[in-house]
Amino acid sequence: MSLDKQHSTFVYTDEQLIGRFQSGDEGAYIELVNRYKDRLINFVYQFLGDIEQAEDVVQDTMLKLYEKKHYYREIAKFSTWIYTIARNLANTELRKRKRRKTTYLSRMTREEREYEIPAVQPNLDQNLQNEFIRERIQEAIKKLPEHSKSVIILRDIQELSYDDISNIVGVPLGTVKSRINRARLQLQAELQDLK
Amino acid sequence: MDRYQFEDLISEYIENELSLSKRKEFESYLENNPDALELVNAIRLNIEKAGTLPKIKTSSKFNDRLLNRIKLETDDRKSRLPIKGLIFGFTPIHASMMTGLLIAFVFINIQLFKPSLDMIDSKNLYTTNEELTDPVPNPSLNIQDFHKTHLADTQDDSMLTDSVNRSKKDFSKKIQFVND
Repeated sequence: MSLDKQHSTFVYTDEQLIGRFQSGDEGAYIELVNRYKDRLINFVYQFLGDIEQAEDVVQDTMLKLYEKKHYYREIAKFSTWIYTIARNLANTELRKRKRRKTTYLSRMTREEREYEIPAVQPNLDQNLQNEFIRERIQEAIKKLPEHSKSVIILRDIQELSYDDISNIVGVPLGTVKSRINRARLQLQAELQDLK
Repeated sequence: MDRYQFEDLISEYIENELSLSKRKEFESYLENNPDALELVNAIRLNIEKAGTLPKIKTSSKFNDRLLNRIKLETDDRKSRLPIKGLIFGFTPIHASMMTGLLIAFVFINIQLFKPSLDMIDSKNLYTTNEELTDPVPNPSLNIQDFHKTHLADTQDDSMLTDSVNRSKKDFSKKIQFVND
């Protein structure tokens, strides 16, 4: 089984692919991995803030997909199912981290290290300023409460529909909408100094 | 519309999900409150920026690592599965050998410890006369009856006749001496 060679040879939907994989077609699994690995690492990274750990969680997600393929039923979208697995694994990782309570400086990412946040300087060129704003947004997202963080990542970064988010986080649509609205207001409160 | 209602509707306004009447009401609130307009614009900008956050890609070794993990997990699961065709953990050949050995062991033990009449001292089987002269006093039985009922004294005692017959047996014809 080679993951790269068979990249993008399918024109099937995700649901068709998982169906084929359940019937024993490993090529379909490969295609699903290639479709979702980058989306999932971006999602998980927003939770963990550590690329290596995020990649480990995505690996675990893909391994779970391989081992528990028969657990998927076509009552839900495949994307919802895989995001739910990734989210649960990311939460487990976060809980483990809290239990350890030890932070090694060497394992800290650039964003985690404490540093003074400079005021936006007018003489910075546009690219640099955009980069700075993005970093601030990422930081502000990290500060959000857990339930707000999930929905804002899924909506504003992953750009999923409200329905999908509702299925992934397992709360009603109305709750998702109000959580997203509240999270956006909280985010703005954090980023007030950015003009 | 008050401030709370305004804040509740910001996302729906930005995503064009408000009904026409609500939208008009919302926009009239924005016209009257410049700070509210500023807030809406700032949130819209944040959403745009969040959408342009740098996209991370998995490492080039991601697929190889995943394949290795799948292989390891599969091998590990196979090694944990019980091997088909085993009988109590033995292969059929070993199981049949073990059964044969067990049967042979039981058979030999039975042969070794089998109780033999020849090995029993026949004298101990008889009751002594002293014991017989002291019967249990029972008014319904006289001593003669007791002796008659005692099996050891009857002539039908097969053990007695056996031992008598055995002593009378003539083995002279059966024994042959080898002349040197």
